[in-house]
Amino acid sequence: MITTKGLTKVYRTRDREVTALDGVDLHVREGEVHGVVGQSGAGKSTLIRAVNLLEVPTSGTVTVDGTDLTALAGNGKRAGAELRKARARIGMVFQHFNLLSARTVQDNVELPLEILGHSGAERSRKALELLDLVGLADKAKAYPAQLSGGQKQRVGIARALAGDPKVLLSDEATSALDPETTRSILQLLRDLNRDLGLTVLLITHEMDVVKAVCDSASLMKNGKITESGALSDLLATPGSEIAAELFPLTGDPLGAPDRTVVDITFLGENTGQPVISHLARTYNIDVSILGAAMDTVGGKQVGRMRIELPGPYEENVVPIGFLREQGLQIEIVGAADAVKDTQLVAGVAQ
Amino acid sequence: MNWSEIRPELLTGLYETVAMVGWASLIAVIGGVPLGVLLVLTDRGRPLQNALINKVIGFVVNVGRSLPFIILMLALTAFTRALTGTSIGLTGAIVPLAISAIPFFARLVETAVREVDGGLVEAVQAMGGSTRTVVFKALLPQALPSLVAGLTTTVVALIGYSAMAGAVGGGGLGDVAIRYGYQRYEGGVMLATVVLLVVLVNVVQLIGDFFVRTLSDRTTRSAAWLRAPRRTRTTVTAVASVGLVGALTAGTLGLTSEGDAGSDETITVAATPTPHGDIVKFVADNLAKDAGLKVEVKEFTDYVKPNEALANGDVDANFFQHVPFLDDFNKKKHTDLVPTVGILVEPIGIYSKSVDDVSALGSGDTIALPNDTTNEGRALHLLDDQGLIKLKKGTGLDASLNDIADDGGLTLKPLEAAQTPRALEDVDAAIVNGNYAIGAGLTPKKDALVLEKAKGNPYINILAVKKEDRDDPAIKKLGQLLNSDATKKFMEKKFPSSIPVFGPVK
Repeated sequence: MITTKGLTKVYRTRDREVTALDGVDLHVREGEVHGVVGQSGAGKSTLIRAVNLLEVPTSGTVTVDGTDLTALAGNGKRAGAELRKARARIGMVFQHFNLLSARTVQDNVELPLEILGHSGAERSRKALELLDLVGLADKAKAYPAQLSGGQKQRVGIARALAGDPKVLLSDEATSALDPETTRSILQLLRDLNRDLGLTVLLITHEMDVVKAVCDSASLMKNGKITESGALSDLLATPGSEIAAELFPLTGDPLGAPDRTVVDITFLGENTGQPVISHLARTYNIDVSILGAAMDTVGGKQVGRMRIELPGPYEENVVPIGFLREQGLQIEIVGAADAVKDTQLVAGVAQ
Repeated sequence: MNWSEIRPELLTGLYETVAMVGWASLIAVIGGVPLGVLLVLTDRGRPLQNALINKVIGFVVNVGRSLPFIILMLALTAFTRALTGTSIGLTGAIVPLAISAIPFFARLVETAVREVDGGLVEAVQAMGGSTRTVVFKALLPQALPSLVAGLTTTVVALIGYSAMAGAVGGGGLGDVAIRYGYQRYEGGVMLATVVLLVVLVNVVQLIGDFFVRTLSDRTTRSAAWLRAPRRTRTTVTAVASVGLVGALTAGTLGLTSEGDAGSDETITVAATPTPHGDIVKFVADNLAKDAGLKVEVKEFTDYVKPNEALANGDVDANFFQHVPFLDDFNKKKHTDLVPTVGILVEPIGIYSKSVDDVSALGSGDTIALPNDTTNEGRALHLLDDQGLIKLKKGTGLDASLNDIADDGGLTLKPLEAAQTPRALEDVDAAIVNGNYAIGAGLTPKKDALVLEKAKGNPYINILAVKKEDRDDPAIKKLGQLLNSDATKKFMEKKFPSSIPVFGPVK
């Protein structure tokens, strides 16, 4: 639904260049909720604005619903009629809502319809319908200043839906809201995704948002996407930073030299299995649990656990093999560190 | 002056102020909004980014903002004429007022529009809006409270500027204050105009504040205005609208009445208020009708404008200057204005509050004198005649401080002519024009230490016309009326300092 290829954005100021996007290839499938995470300054904001060409990329292409938007954009700052028409089919919600304070709630929702040239009666009907959809039918005549943050964002979402978009872009839509309100807004996005088949691209710096609504996610660092995929795949990928962030495990990973630390990820039906006690009984070893968590990610049960086995890795090859046979995702924490250390030494030697 | 004389002047002044300010504000909005919006849109990172256009507009606006209004008004004479057909009167004042208000308001619009959250622009663009949509649906409606506040500031500033409109005969309350309160020493008129101006400015500010509050209530949580019953809101809005529309209508009427003044049989005479304006008025009101003339007086508080207005045909004659002044003007401006008849001499004199005789003045004393070219020359020659200073040999009528060979130890302080009698408390002596001496309550023949001689005096105030009108029968007739016995009697009674010196000039 949304594809970017080699997307690059370079800001030139008088004395220096800043590369905000550095060859971003992003792919969002139809009907999924995709989250782009990363720290501030990573380029998330530039990326989402490049999708509807609010930021004209320096190079690369953006295709939304089969239309190459970069081809529609002129080379100036002004957007041509074709691009404006395409934008009208892409909804966008903002961190600070960006509602017009001089207009009523209903008039705010009607604004995109005015731009599309709908008649007054048609606008009014559609706006009220959308306000009903987001649960604000009774606030149509109120002004934004009379609403709470969550209500304002609902108006923002209703407005974004006015052009019957297939794609909704969400720019930190919940970052200005309290946890409770965040949950209800995310729930609304999830419902819209399910009920309207809306494809959602959201950017956020909060992992909880990804955990709550996303089917897939990408991690951005320094203008690049460093990993990307469906959440279940990412959780099953060794060394995935998104997985680690989604499931931060506590417990000191650097055990004593004669011990082996193992991270286990349970997915789907595995979560119900008594794997650990099985392991202990079968191999007659003492398993210490350093940390563990259970959660729902993208609507699926996921568990992560960090355990410690006595003896070095070589002595534990068989029990670890047993865990792998159970269909679990296994990661040897100490071993990975050992490998990193070797690389570091090699790097210095060069 | 009693109240029944003051009232029509005040009403006319109020009328003219509202007309000038109303029209100038309207034009300021029409011109200032697009300029202000463009200043924002062409700035860096904005939809119409264009450094060149931005800099050019910014520069033009700054030039407009930096010129003192009085200079702008006088500099725009040719432009105003080309645009409206006249450079004087109400219309002549509206053009420069509007020209000065456009850049003023444009900067306020720029600030107001710049303050609109950039996110809103982004939101409108994201929903497919064009730059035009951004401006009309987001920027201007969101900036509206600030725009109205800016307009209020502009209108108040224009009321201040309009006080200077007297220089081009534009009238208005400020001009009434200058012509009657300041130059004719009518304290009552001064007070009344000041009170009216204070009331006017406060009313404008109240109306402006009301609209700003109304508009911005929507954007605040309290929204008291919205909670008021619909009927109250309707009533308040209606009253305010009627007030505004009424003010503009009054302004329009003011303009229309202006248009009526210039019918063909009428001779329009430009004059400075006292005594010239009053003398022409006396002729117009008492003598003209029987002689089959219609005479209109246009009072100016400036010494350049009446000649300019005469040269370019805005008026038919003027009466405010003496021959040396006219010669100087003709030479500098390459005009062909000629004197017709002499009417009076107003002898300049030396006055003092501290000494009783000229001989008591000397080294270490300070003497105030008028600062305009001819009056300064005149004053210096008077001092020279009295032996108080010595001018360089061969110095003409346009003597200046640089032509003094020996100042006799005196400190000479040039002041605006009308200020010299007011300075009497601060200096040892002052050289004061006859009209201003009378105005200040002095009796020249009694109070002056010494007066200019009337005989052989070159400073005869004359009726001047364009060269080709010299033999116009109506002008001749007006000359005769000004040189009549009735006029002489009026002058001797009303302006005892003046000395009628009738007869054709040269």
